[in-house]
Amino acid sequence: MPDLPEKRVGLIACSGEDLPVGTVSRMAVLQVLERLRPQDTVTLCLPLFLAGEERERAFARFYPTIAIDGCSKRCAARATEHYSARPAASLVIDDFIAEKGLPEPHGLRQLDAAGQAVTQAVAQELAHEVDRLLGKKRPTVVEVEAQAPDAEGEPEGMVVATCSCGSGIPVAQLQVNGRRVEILALPAILDQFREMGKPVNDATAGELMDAVKLYNHLPNEEEAGLREAVLSEYTRYIAAFDPASATS
Amino acid sequence: MSEPKPTDSDRVLIIPCSGIGKAFGSVGREAAYLVLEELRPNDTGTVCLSLLTMGDEESQQRVREQRTIAIDGCPKACARVNIEHAGAEPAAIFRVFDVFRAHKELRVQQVSDIGENGREMARILAEEVAVKVDELRGGKE
Repeated sequence: MPDLPEKRVGLIACSGEDLPVGTVSRMAVLQVLERLRPQDTVTLCLPLFLAGEERERAFARFYPTIAIDGCSKRCAARATEHYSARPAASLVIDDFIAEKGLPEPHGLRQLDAAGQAVTQAVAQELAHEVDRLLGKKRPTVVEVEAQAPDAEGEPEGMVVATCSCGSGIPVAQLQVNGRRVEILALPAILDQFREMGKPVNDATAGELMDAVKLYNHLPNEEEAGLREAVLSEYTRYIAAFDPASATS
Repeated sequence: MSEPKPTDSDRVLIIPCSGIGKAFGSVGREAAYLVLEELRPNDTGTVCLSLLTMGDEESQQRVREQRTIAIDGCPKACARVNIEHAGAEPAAIFRVFDVFRAHKELRVQQVSDIGENGREMARILAEEVAVKVDELRGGKE
């Protein structure tokens, strides 16, 4: 059965190639993606907002995002807001270093000891922010044990960072009351409902709307029109696979 | 008498993609840093790709005035696209996948640690880029 994209926290690093704090942003995000919160996080390359397509730009409208910037130019936060949606949280590493009294990192290709210490601290801060955004509580002891390399419960095999590029959020455009409306995740929702054998009827329309609302903010005044459009779309979708079932 | 060092504006800008979720992005960045720090430190420079993406005036001016080499880790070609979007044309474009195609024994799996295979792939790519830098620098009037 096809999966609907899960609600995770999107981490957008500036990744600044010309600055040590850019390397810190990238390494800290990778640590969260691969070790600290692999099940709860996903990422996207920042320049893909411009180079990518609508599904990439829909990224922050689907995932609550944390922008991680190296310097005060705040490319990650600004790019996310400009091309997608306002980040749910943001962190500037230069500010974080000053606030926590951490040493200044050096090195682009390979961070020095100070850079690695800052990376660890930033990664921990991000992991806590992920928990806060997802409303997850983690007892400190368990968290520490889970992060130890040999701890029981460590995911088996290699954990890889989850990248959203090329497999981003599916988006559909519907006509609602004469206006084009973009609905995040609708293709995946339709796919899932068809797999579940949901018939085309009013009850299914209600269930479809419940699923659509999980991923989209819908103004009340548009709900009726959208319900009709979503059910029509589902009817067309089912008909494409099995014309008889759509008309039954 | 030794040759004069190039001024900053003479340097070739090596711009890797910011690939963060794919191993080839890490390989491309490693290759860029090899060129910048080891192979041609006096002839090259870089800019943050995210600054270009955000339309930073100074970064855009640099890519328009200096020769650039894009290194991309995936078909989305963020480095090339963002250079072009800044109003410049890359002097050369390298794709990590092309190196992999020529060296399929070099499988890279992890993003944060590209391992021996990844470092080898990056070295091969970096040497190709360095040759291109020499070619571009040699062609400089």
